Amino acid sequence: MRLVPRGEAPALFVAAVSLLAVLLAFAASLVLLALYGASPWEAIAVVYRGVLADPRGFAEVLRRAVPLTLAGAGLALAFRAQFWNIGAEGQLLVGAVAASGVALFGPGEGVAKLVLMAAVAFVAGGLWAMVPAYLKARLAVNDVITTLMFNYVAIYLVEWLIHGPWKGKSVFGFAYTDRFPASAWLPLWPGTGLAWPGLVLAVAAAALLAWLLGATKLGFEVRVVGENPEAARYAGVRALSTLLQVALLSGGVAGLAGFVEVAGTHHRLLAPLQISLGYGYTAIIVAWLGRNRPLATLLTGLLIGFVFAAGDVAKVALATPFQLVQVVNGLILFFLIAAEVPIRYRVVWRPERG
Amino acid sequence: MKRVGLAVLLVLGMLALAEGRLKAGWIYVGPIGDYGWTHAHDVGRREAAKAFPWLQTLYVESVPEGQVGSYIDQMVRQGVKVIFATSFGYMDGVLEAAKRYPNVIFAHASGFKRAPNVATYMADFYQVYYLNGLMAGALTKTGKVGYVGAFPIPEVKRHINAFALGVRAVNPKAKVLVRWIYEWYSPAAAKEATEALIAEGADVFAFTEDSPTVVQVAAGHKLPSFAHYSPMLKFAPDYVVSGQLVDWGVIYKDFLAKVYAGLYTPKNLEDVDYWWLLPQKAVALGADRGVPVNPKFIPALKAKKIHHPVFGEISVYDLVMKLKAMMSDVELAFDPFQGPIKDRKGNLRVPAGVRPTQAELESLEWAVQGVEGPWPNEPK
Repeated sequence: MRLVPRGEAPALFVAAVSLLAVLLAFAASLVLLALYGASPWEAIAVVYRGVLADPRGFAEVLRRAVPLTLAGAGLALAFRAQFWNIGAEGQLLVGAVAASGVALFGPGEGVAKLVLMAAVAFVAGGLWAMVPAYLKARLAVNDVITTLMFNYVAIYLVEWLIHGPWKGKSVFGFAYTDRFPASAWLPLWPGTGLAWPGLVLAVAAAALLAWLLGATKLGFEVRVVGENPEAARYAGVRALSTLLQVALLSGGVAGLAGFVEVAGTHHRLLAPLQISLGYGYTAIIVAWLGRNRPLATLLTGLLIGFVFAAGDVAKVALATPFQLVQVVNGLILFFLIAAEVPIRYRVVWRPERG
Repeated sequence: MKRVGLAVLLVLGMLALAEGRLKAGWIYVGPIGDYGWTHAHDVGRREAAKAFPWLQTLYVESVPEGQVGSYIDQMVRQGVKVIFATSFGYMDGVLEAAKRYPNVIFAHASGFKRAPNVATYMADFYQVYYLNGLMAGALTKTGKVGYVGAFPIPEVKRHINAFALGVRAVNPKAKVLVRWIYEWYSPAAAKEATEALIAEGADVFAFTEDSPTVVQVAAGHKLPSFAHYSPMLKFAPDYVVSGQLVDWGVIYKDFLAKVYAGLYTPKNLEDVDYWWLLPQKAVALGADRGVPVNPKFIPALKAKKIHHPVFGEISVYDLVMKLKAMMSDVELAFDPFQGPIKDRKGNLRVPAGVRPTQAELESLEWAVQGVEGPWPNEPK
């Protein structure tokens, strides 16, 4: 038996193998639950009742899916251009900072204020990603490391603001800003905790990025730069400009996720770990599971959102340990990496002729 | 008397409610294994569960602040009738959920916003910190006492001030050197801060952080320290002098008994605010339960005599015990923050004969004289 590279695998096959990987990850999670002492059947029943059959519970899936899809769709674009953006978390946080700045100190009323918040969040997230992109294109600085390090800079920026200049007057000295005025809150879908404009943004961003990648000159350049940088230079594609545009878009949509989190859920700026729950890192799984297709991140974001919401339900109903969600996400990633083998190679049941 | 009252309440409750079991849920901000805040609340939950056969408890740990609403949804779905939310950051989420579930009772730790079905509660240490300060003042040889603080928020500032007032009552020239680590749980940062304070000459330590790190580092240099939140004597039996211990269980038991008895309903909690101190036994002085002062340090504390304005010539050990008794009485014949108290910039903050109100203590931002080091948000 040996493995032979198969070239481009058919899309349906890739989807089927990915789905199998996810199902295996869920099965492994249930085995873990059983080892922990919880009944897997009860777990399925509890998750069904609490998440899928309950409108408030299902809205929680969507609420998690929104930032995951926004950041994930941006990462899908970045990865296609071989821009290894590990910094969606930081881009999300600076987006949250920018949106909070406008909410607390900026002008505007009503929808105009929300639009302004979204716009500055997009720009802030984009600029945060453009610095590592510039360093990569001009000085060949490793983008995995710079984008990752920029996350920590963003974390400390938030910490400094909430402990220092932006600390609220009404928070008893705790490290939070004051609450946003009500005009800076995103409206909720009635009876749920879901800020529905976030959902609109996520769908629009995924669709726009998909269109951009598939049907525009920038999309063509991204694909050429990503797949064959040498050919790109030969064809006259300006790598720097392409990369910067990709970074702006990729970081920008992550910044939008930060806007949705503070304007939709928290209504203030607070500790970085409370703002995002690691959405920027988990979005890497979302992008990869979607095979770096922005439109596919709508589905994969929903799936990981489901993992988060189901984990919440299981924590309360089954008293599972709080690490469960990370374990399930880790298992999904693990099986996806394993799935690369059947996707890239086919198995040949024949001895190699000497 | 109090115990009899509680028993009467319980009997009344059992007669009034034939329905039986009460389900209560706890929402924790950290993991129950943190050996600090969340751990202590969980000890209190287990205490209540053990005390009341009619009580069924469940808990959920490491709940992010923005998600508290959805966790409350899950708990209500499980039939929980009383929910304890144990982080300041849950405040807005709890109040919103309280509107959604008008028949569920909520209690929010360390918050200040209430509603007909939302009470607030807090066990505060400031009295105990003063007692520890007295002992620290007696034990320092360099005249420098080190304090590792978590965050410069009013709660921690109040505790450092009470501690420093105690230090200066025994040792009027002593200083309390403060370092902030900006974490609730960070052994690495606590170690670094302790080492830095030792380098500056501090030789006795107190702290606010959810690990025994400061105790261990100080003991490594053969220096005494005061435990925080959980019993820490076992981490350095020769060097932990005393400390502050919490018992959330007494609050949880009182609250749940009153709910069960029908005294607390989802309609009458608007003014229910527990601010429990030594008299209610929500906090205690000690390096360990039942060990108010480590016997190894009693001779040194007895040997140190001071002249006290009320008691005259007295040993620090006797002073600690006398004031502890006074502060453990509901009459509160003594309060550490009784004026006159000036801040370190010379402003008179508490006039002579006056005691700050609970609200003033809860929003206190200034530093008393003798406190040295950065003090964010210090008023002019």
